[in-house]
Amino acid sequence: MASFERHRDGASAYLAFPVGLLISLSVWPWLADAQPPPQGFAVERFYPSAPGGGWFVMDDVNMNGKLGGAIALTTGYSRKPLEVASPDGTQRFTLLSNEAFADVGLAVTYDRYRVYLNLPIPLLVTGNSGTLGPYQLSAPSVNIATNPDTISDPRVGFDMRLLGKPESSLRLGMGAQLIIPSGDRADYVTDRRYRGMFRFLAAGDAGRLSYAGQLGMHIRPVDQSAVPGSPNGNEFLFGMSAARRFPVRSGWAVAVGPEFYGETAVRSFFSGQTGFEGLLTGRLEGTGDGPHTRIKMGIGHGLVQQFGAPEWRILFGVELFVRR
Amino acid sequence: MKVLAARGLHDIENESWNAYGQFTYISSWKPRFPALYTNANGSINSLIPDPERSFTGTATLYLGVRLWRGGEAYLAPEVLSEHPLSELKGLGGAIQNFELQKGGGETPELYHSRAFVRQTFGFGGHRVVKESGQLQLGTVYDSRRLVFIAGNFSILDFFDKNAFDIDPRQGLFSLPFLTYAAYDFASDARGYSYGGVAELYWDDWAVRLGRITPPKNPNQLPVGFRLGRYYGDQMELEHKHRIDGQDGTVRVLAFRNRENTGRFVDAVAAFEADPRKNATTCPGFNYGSGNANAPDLCWVRKPNVKMGIGLFGEQYIARGIGVFSRAMISDGQTEVDAYTSTDRSASFGALAKGFLWSRARDVTGVGVNLGWISAAHAEYLRLGGVDGFIGDGSIKPAMESSLDVFYSVNLRRSLWLSGDYQRVINPAFNADRGPVNIFSMRIHGEF
Repeated sequence: MASFERHRDGASAYLAFPVGLLISLSVWPWLADAQPPPQGFAVERFYPSAPGGGWFVMDDVNMNGKLGGAIALTTGYSRKPLEVASPDGTQRFTLLSNEAFADVGLAVTYDRYRVYLNLPIPLLVTGNSGTLGPYQLSAPSVNIATNPDTISDPRVGFDMRLLGKPESSLRLGMGAQLIIPSGDRADYVTDRRYRGMFRFLAAGDAGRLSYAGQLGMHIRPVDQSAVPGSPNGNEFLFGMSAARRFPVRSGWAVAVGPEFYGETAVRSFFSGQTGFEGLLTGRLEGTGDGPHTRIKMGIGHGLVQQFGAPEWRILFGVELFVRR
Repeated sequence: MKVLAARGLHDIENESWNAYGQFTYISSWKPRFPALYTNANGSINSLIPDPERSFTGTATLYLGVRLWRGGEAYLAPEVLSEHPLSELKGLGGAIQNFELQKGGGETPELYHSRAFVRQTFGFGGHRVVKESGQLQLGTVYDSRRLVFIAGNFSILDFFDKNAFDIDPRQGLFSLPFLTYAAYDFASDARGYSYGGVAELYWDDWAVRLGRITPPKNPNQLPVGFRLGRYYGDQMELEHKHRIDGQDGTVRVLAFRNRENTGRFVDAVAAFEADPRKNATTCPGFNYGSGNANAPDLCWVRKPNVKMGIGLFGEQYIARGIGVFSRAMISDGQTEVDAYTSTDRSASFGALAKGFLWSRARDVTGVGVNLGWISAAHAEYLRLGGVDGFIGDGSIKPAMESSLDVFYSVNLRRSLWLSGDYQRVINPAFNADRGPVNIFSMRIHGEF
């Protein structure tokens, strides 16, 4: 059939992609920063692991083999993700009372490397406006009807396994993420500034025990230290997790265990600008080589409920991934 | 994907996933044009007669994954930056660049244009090979199949697909060639909707049904999810045929929207009964007209029904050369809710690939669009009213017509540079203004 159908040829991608990237980046606003910053920031402190990373927050650093990848959908709801207190601690109120999101991720792995993209989609952000000392704080009203197509702060990341063989008892790696500003700051879904994350990753498997941990730095230009509950600039990231694996039937396994993670502002190390959460997680996943499905569930509590750590949260995730 | 497939790393004919992307930059320039008046009596919707520039830049990533047997999921994040002519006011159907969105700005904005799931149930017939592409996994379907789609999409992904399946970003620049100018399909300000579509393919026949979300207020981004109360329904019947060995398609499309809109006669009646109910005193959402002596639709918005029916035909006449035409009549009683201010439209044109002159990847085309508004719409505009796009403060009603001619040079295999000329006569259906000449260029790439 003679047709006008599009012609694509991968060879031209070598030219088309950089040109497209150049055009896209050339029009992206750092311009946005020319405006006086409105109140609000990216309140979500749950940064899902890279698609195929195994855990909810940590990473199994198990990239290996030929070209592979993963696609992930993670959704979550958190209750009271932002309670703010006056500087003297006498006043406290819930600025954000409900927050829900969906996060779609795509990862490509090759040998010991992984590149990935996470696209967070805010589904709900609501709260209470009020006055706290000298500050007039305005809560957002975000839902899928008012914001039908928002993508907030997508993340582009790169991870690498540095030491340790796949499935070994100790694997060390490192990763970097670029967080691209997107969305409305007043909705508490973005800082409207570029951010970056650098993490050292550790993970291992010993018999039926799996563990993982991370230490890192969140490069965060927004510093509103004068406003209660707001970002104080750069942050340290930390976390660890452990799980026991239970084979449930041929080709499938269940892993159950906790994940702990948090962040603290560099300028006020482990002071009031620290949030710390614990998650009890369970995941059902295929074992062995080939394409698999992983279903994850988690319920968590803000152990130090500050700085964006919620009172409690629930999480659900599903991943399609290839293990080679 | 072809690179991966060539290296044995990807099965492009039976894909479990794929990823494509595109970028498009369109720049337009409009020289000065004659106009007896502009924004008369405090109106705000005239095309400015002074020279103006406009641009759009988009970049889109198309991700697809197979979920299970017959199940596919697609996601398309997109970035848009734009600067329209006259803030996208003053043209009826003849908006010069189909990429323009309401409410966009020069600050690039990232959003998900599509996020939907498609489930196909095969009923036999012959094999239909679908090549890997944007929003399409490479696969084989039955020619007899039932398809369900749910999620967030453009209704034009499934209904009234562009002539010859040509990517609009490679075709005619002007908006009325994207679909019927009078097809006021329910959508948000960007042109996307939530909802569901069902398609039944039976060899050469196809029938489609869809219900989608309208905007909460006309031409705005927030959408209403009460699909039992407000909705856009459409039905399409399609038949593919061959004439003298050349493929062709005929479609009939009907839509029925129930939306929170205003009827022109109601707005005029409300104003005539009480002149205090004018454009400057609106208690609710309106377009900000400063004409205190004009009716305004905001006073009469309530659940109203808008209907239309259209006919589309396309026919190849030689290798890579085809002609198309489409025409639609809507009832023309209510304001534009999402697409264009046109109440009745007809367009025709031809598209050709460069086989004849040994440049097979070049594309050229010419199209003519004709648009009309209803008598009630014209009376509302004559009294100084405005809708989402037009309203010069006065009007000498006339058919708005536009000519669009373009040529796309294929620079590399997936990179095109295009030039385009458009001439718009009676912009905004007003014989007191125009004609308008618009010159555009486009660079488009895919990866």
